[in-house]
Amino acid sequence: MDAKNLKKFEKEMNTCIRCAYCFEECPVIEQKGWDTDGARGKVALSYGLLSGDLEPTQSIADKLFQCTLCRNCESKCPSGVEVCDIITSARADLVEKGYASDIHNTVIKNIKETGNIYGDTEVMAPLQEGEVPLFVGCQYLSRPNKTKKYIKILEKLGINVKVGREICCGFPMEVLGFKEDFEEYKSRFTELYPHQTAITFCPTCTVFLKEGHEIDAKHVLQVILEKIPEGNLGMKATFHDPCDFSRTLKIIDEPRQILKKLGVEIVEMKNNKGNSSCCGGGGGILMSDSKLSDDIALARIRQAIDTGADTLITTCPTCETVLKKAATQIKELEGKDIVVRNIEDIIWKGLA
Amino acid sequence: MVELDIEKLREIVGKDNVSDDIADLYVYSSDASVHQAMPSVVVRPGKTEEVQEILRYANQNKIPVIPRGAGSGMSGHTVPIDGGIVLDMKRMSRILEIRPEDLLCKVEPGVINDELNRALKPHGFFFAPMPSSGMICTIGGMIGTNASGNRAVKYGATRDVVLGLKVVLANGDLVTLGTNTKTDASGYQLARLIVGSEGTLGIVVEATLLISPLPKFKAMAIANFDKLEDAGNAISKVMSSGITPSMVELMDNVAITAVNKALGLGLPDVSAIIIFECNGMVKEAVDYEMNAITKICEEHNGSGIKMTDDPKEMARIYEGRKNLFPSLSRFGDGLVSTSLADDMAVPVSKIAVAVHEIHEIAKRNNVVMSAYGHCGSGLIHTKILMDPTKESQWEDAKKAVAETYEFVRSIGGTTSGEHGIALSKAPAMKIERKDSLEMMRTIKRALDPNNILNPHKMMDAPDDWTTATKLRYNVRGGQ
Repeated sequence: MDAKNLKKFEKEMNTCIRCAYCFEECPVIEQKGWDTDGARGKVALSYGLLSGDLEPTQSIADKLFQCTLCRNCESKCPSGVEVCDIITSARADLVEKGYASDIHNTVIKNIKETGNIYGDTEVMAPLQEGEVPLFVGCQYLSRPNKTKKYIKILEKLGINVKVGREICCGFPMEVLGFKEDFEEYKSRFTELYPHQTAITFCPTCTVFLKEGHEIDAKHVLQVILEKIPEGNLGMKATFHDPCDFSRTLKIIDEPRQILKKLGVEIVEMKNNKGNSSCCGGGGGILMSDSKLSDDIALARIRQAIDTGADTLITTCPTCETVLKKAATQIKELEGKDIVVRNIEDIIWKGLA
Repeated sequence: MVELDIEKLREIVGKDNVSDDIADLYVYSSDASVHQAMPSVVVRPGKTEEVQEILRYANQNKIPVIPRGAGSGMSGHTVPIDGGIVLDMKRMSRILEIRPEDLLCKVEPGVINDELNRALKPHGFFFAPMPSSGMICTIGGMIGTNASGNRAVKYGATRDVVLGLKVVLANGDLVTLGTNTKTDASGYQLARLIVGSEGTLGIVVEATLLISPLPKFKAMAIANFDKLEDAGNAISKVMSSGITPSMVELMDNVAITAVNKALGLGLPDVSAIIIFECNGMVKEAVDYEMNAITKICEEHNGSGIKMTDDPKEMARIYEGRKNLFPSLSRFGDGLVSTSLADDMAVPVSKIAVAVHEIHEIAKRNNVVMSAYGHCGSGLIHTKILMDPTKESQWEDAKKAVAETYEFVRSIGGTTSGEHGIALSKAPAMKIERKDSLEMMRTIKRALDPNNILNPHKMMDAPDDWTTATKLRYNVRGGQ
């Protein structure tokens, strides 16, 4: 096949010496167990598609889409192979050959037609004038109460944000293999969001505003940390680092410092900070393989329960949703209790 | 080979543990070596009885069976040169017993080295062979290749710590070999024969392993050398002085450059460094040995010797060494690390001359070769850094590999110290061990008359490694 996206990564794929160090703690390989499921397997399949050893098939596409893009493999790879770029490039070549799943096609169509991943024409940003540009993002636009809460927190801390009409940052296009669509879409995005800076709520949007749009994006917690007063919540909780937060943006200490200031004692999970385990919500599998996503989330929630804390706090709306579902499942399966909350709830309570 | 009865295999291990899908076959067609050949099916057994049934079926139908752990072997051990069944053993991953009072544990072959050590730690024990790939390599794979790692200098290789094995033979029979004791003079030492047999004589389904008490004290140091031969001579002197270090690692300048580039370790830009470690139960004894090694290094012009017993700093140094092999792929633009001529061993006094010659061979053949490794036990790792997409580079590599092994033989060394032979080292081993090839083949024929167990490897492998299988790289010709 004409693997035009993968072609750029031939040298990178040769750099992978197939040592399998990426097996360690790969959330997909931990659940499924085949070598094919790990980063090495996915790089090998990508290389096969590029070299012509392999013709695309549905099963190859399925394997390449069964990845949360959590970057655990990249953090474990001593050769520094850009595994996620290779996988998203393979996805792009497969999508061009017609191997996008129906659900992924629908999401992309939704973005193009309505400007959000849900295809919901009612989803609207809470428009307001202000000094600092804010990018809300699809996940928070669909959770208006959370958005309002964050904006009010910022107001309380003396930060007056400006919210305009906005559309999806386009991240799903990039990671689900619709790279060409993104190139066309990018100018639409820039038209509506012409700013060079942004405060963001969603870790993934933060990453993609930086990488896909060259915008100097700052996650809201980085802004809040500078201004948060001392609190006295007297809580004990564990903290889940979203992959985009700890591995991509390297935002590790900020949420912990905020929680500590508010009087929350953090009990770390076995995998924490830069070595955090994925929640199972990334890379598109939440939409296309909910069983795999659920299984990964259950493994993570078990780690949280093992800490003895009764609350898990996170900073990403997708992680929150996926882990809340896992908490419900673990209650049903094993009778164990843990409450999953997003950090803005805790900050709101701490500032009250 | 008869057509495989996939349904039969599904009946044995369950449908979710058998795949003849192209995606799985392709991924299981290669490992960390340069080789590639497609299996007919991948099967993941979960228990001994399943392995027995698979082998009975395969033996009756003369179908090759290739056991595979993490698939991190560098010589093509798990590459199914004749197709057949690849047995992914990672589902058999139970730690069956830990008996500190007997200094042993019993495990299934899919247990990962680091996981075993995590389980042993609360008991105050550890499993000594510690390859750099410990976080992913399986005990079964370590037994197959007689793996060792950087602490072999004190504790020995896998063969030295395997007390007993349960092995499924080619005809499906289950045999118990060896015993539970460190000393054993009861007949042929067949468990020791299985270790390092690369899956050609039987499939290991359980291992009884010797474990060691965790040392209470440990210290590590790095010594810098402007001349490679000084470093080599220092190692030889240390090893013959009566000191028993727990690690003596050499890194040449190519390795230092690569690891600094990939991992930002900030090691000094010198000809060679030696990392050494001593451990034990008595602090004064550890200090004494560390000081004695330091003195020997200084006598051999070692400089900037930094000693530490800070666990964090020791872990940082160890991480750098552990990740060296994959880091080599970041040495230079367009050059990637290929697993060739990767683990020869030489008499300890010959390390300096061997490393020097390796660099000369690389220069003559238009490739870059690093030299590093567990030199306290005479083991030298080299990797060939080359552009694997160019046909001419494979010709260069072929010459460099042949010249390297010829030199190693000439100084009394051996082809493989810890990674095993399989395909890419078979031509060299066949020259080195020409007197014992027929004995090896006789043993193989006796235990596996239908030649189904990892066939055409080691003594039976093709004479030209470059054409033994398809190379797994996209080789296009050109200079």
